[in-house]
Amino acid sequence: MEPRYIIGIDLGTTNSALSYVENRPDGDPLALPKVELLAVPQLVNPSEVRDENLLPSFLYVPGAADFPAGATALPWDNQPETVVGRLAQKRGVENAGRLVSSAKSWLSHGGVDRTAPILPFRAPEGVPKYSPVEASRRYLDHLRQAWDYKMPDAPFAAQQVLVTVPASFDAVARDLTLKAAEQAGYQNVTLLEEPQAAFYAWIERHPDWRTRVRVGDLILVADIGGGTTDFTLIAVTEQGGELSLDRVAVGEHILLGGDNIDLALARLVAGRLAEQGTKIDNFQLQALWNNCRTAKEKLLEPGNKKDEAPVTILGKGTGVVGGSIKAKLPRADLERLLSDGFLPAVTSQEMPARQVRAGLQELGLPYAADAAITRHMARFLRQQASSAEHGGVRRGPSGLACPTHILLNGGVLNSVLIRERILSVLNAWLGGEGFPPVQPLSGEDLMHAVSRGAAYYGLARRGRGVRIRGGVPRTYYVGIESAMPSVPGFAAPLKALTVVPFGMEEGTEQRIPNREFGLVVGEPAEFRFFTSAVRKNDQAGDLIEDFGDDLEELAPMEVNLAAEQSAAADVVPVSFETVVTETGMMQLWCVARDGRRWKLEFNVREVRS
Amino acid sequence: MSRILLAFRAFFAILFGRPLPQEIKPAAPKPQPAAPAKPNPAHALQLLAILQRDSRLLDFLMEDIASFEDEQIGAAVRSLHDQARDSLARYLSLQPVIDGVEGAYTRPATADPAAVKFIGNVPANRPEGGTLRHKGWRAAKMELPALNPKQDASIIAPAEIEIE
Repeated sequence: MEPRYIIGIDLGTTNSALSYVENRPDGDPLALPKVELLAVPQLVNPSEVRDENLLPSFLYVPGAADFPAGATALPWDNQPETVVGRLAQKRGVENAGRLVSSAKSWLSHGGVDRTAPILPFRAPEGVPKYSPVEASRRYLDHLRQAWDYKMPDAPFAAQQVLVTVPASFDAVARDLTLKAAEQAGYQNVTLLEEPQAAFYAWIERHPDWRTRVRVGDLILVADIGGGTTDFTLIAVTEQGGELSLDRVAVGEHILLGGDNIDLALARLVAGRLAEQGTKIDNFQLQALWNNCRTAKEKLLEPGNKKDEAPVTILGKGTGVVGGSIKAKLPRADLERLLSDGFLPAVTSQEMPARQVRAGLQELGLPYAADAAITRHMARFLRQQASSAEHGGVRRGPSGLACPTHILLNGGVLNSVLIRERILSVLNAWLGGEGFPPVQPLSGEDLMHAVSRGAAYYGLARRGRGVRIRGGVPRTYYVGIESAMPSVPGFAAPLKALTVVPFGMEEGTEQRIPNREFGLVVGEPAEFRFFTSAVRKNDQAGDLIEDFGDDLEELAPMEVNLAAEQSAAADVVPVSFETVVTETGMMQLWCVARDGRRWKLEFNVREVRS
Repeated sequence: MSRILLAFRAFFAILFGRPLPQEIKPAAPKPQPAAPAKPNPAHALQLLAILQRDSRLLDFLMEDIASFEDEQIGAAVRSLHDQARDSLARYLSLQPVIDGVEGAYTRPATADPAAVKFIGNVPANRPEGGTLRHKGWRAAKMELPALNPKQDASIIAPAEIEIE
């Protein structure tokens, strides 16, 4: 049955949103229906449910002393076990030990078991914990319940749903996101990359987009959210006489965003206060963090010429005036932080400082070691030089990928000054390569663009509107230990067999030729699994030997052949087959000579070291 | 109308069960002054609780500010004012009673003395209009969240105890 609505869900690191569009297959193909935003009912205060356009991605685990009885009731649940949304975020400031935040970043963190209850990460003994997958499930579940409450005539389960993930999410993180959605009762789910969704939102807003870009254009999508930064390149190509869009490159997962800027400002102001002998505690730092965000936004408003913005922390006790701490955020400090810290005017040759991995790392999220967003952008564009010639990528003499257009997305980029700074850095690089300045594609409604774009993409998948051809954004490999006599102190050299080539398209499958493995019946077989965002030339079946730092190890893949499936032999020779489903999920299968197949599953419980 | 005729009309009206002529209907009883509605203190306290929660308004009003410098009061009030205004706007839709220009001649549309108050040299009869001095405030809409029946409404703000 045709779904009545197509739902786009932006499952964000700090905020989530839900947009939807009516699916009218018989409607005018040139006049697409409008994409709407669902106001999500959520607890905003104890005993107060209100509609808000964003659902903050926070989970609070209440204890007996947290809320009065009945104060966390939702229209669809009288006694929820956990609190999701604005109230969770507010209460979490007062009691951080029970707050789950940035679950999405944990979902993509290979250093921990992502299905184990590990969040809240610093919860005191006795507080129930949830896995990153379970926390994500609860956000998705809240959105589903909110939909069913507001749209009783069109049950969520009967609609087509698109959930966005960062382009930099690897196969494991995508798989876990899909699992969370399925566990939240989602039935027709497709994953979509966020920068692509942001670009779809731009197309939705500009029905004349075909007159704004031409064949050969290269569009850089820079998505700077609260906690993450994501880069993507989209090439405009031609197919059958029609303009067509190809996603040609995605960047690495960078845990760096607007929140970092605000926190750095708060630390700066707190440091100034400490010099004057005023110490502030953690709770006051939170208030200062919020106030610095407001002050930053005020100072960055176009036309604001003030030299400083006041930042006040109100007194903690009943003495609100007497106990208040007065501070200022000077414009000079803000500009220095942006120009030296987050958005320095670097050359396109400057690469971000690499993370130095100490032998014993403190567990926690692997935040970006270098805060300079411009340096990360330089690396992203530079990396495209070392990879294969791709038809749609325009390059300068030095090999730097040189976009013709840029689409900026994410809340931080609401500020004109920040947008201009990024443009001026990029334009300086382009000038150096002999190209004219980049053309900005004006995005609107930056907080909701991703979910809106996702809903629009749902229409595009139904043949109504343009669709970006993407394919798998990375190359994937299975590790094969070479048969060499082992030498003490040295690991056996590892070779990598290409199983999923870059750009392998949705809805296709590929047999990996020339290589068979003997699987022992009744014993789980495990394969080491690797990925690379940089190597784009490797074809299925290629065996790579000296890959240096190009490959990144993922969670291992495992398969278990039950004994009764093969009574005759103890060892079954199998070869690999790769499938990329229509919904964008990647699957690896073992295929026996007689055609029997077993699916490989990620083993995320075994934490890679 | 003659009294005889009226008497006959009343007679037949009673005989055939039709409505009595207007003239002989008993006068409607004078309305008794209604007992003043008992105020629900919970809602008043709820609004106060919201303003305290979002903007610390009650703390500010109850604080003895005589000894503080204007500058310090100003710094505190600036952030308090923004937040109090935001939360008022969230729960109440405030409009002027008369949407005019203060200082301009205005004829009020209503005669309700609760909505329009005449001040100054007011003549014996209700005047047509005058100079608008204050536009007045009207709550066009009030949407307070439902009260939690299990909660003690007299608690405006909980005490806070920090574990260090």
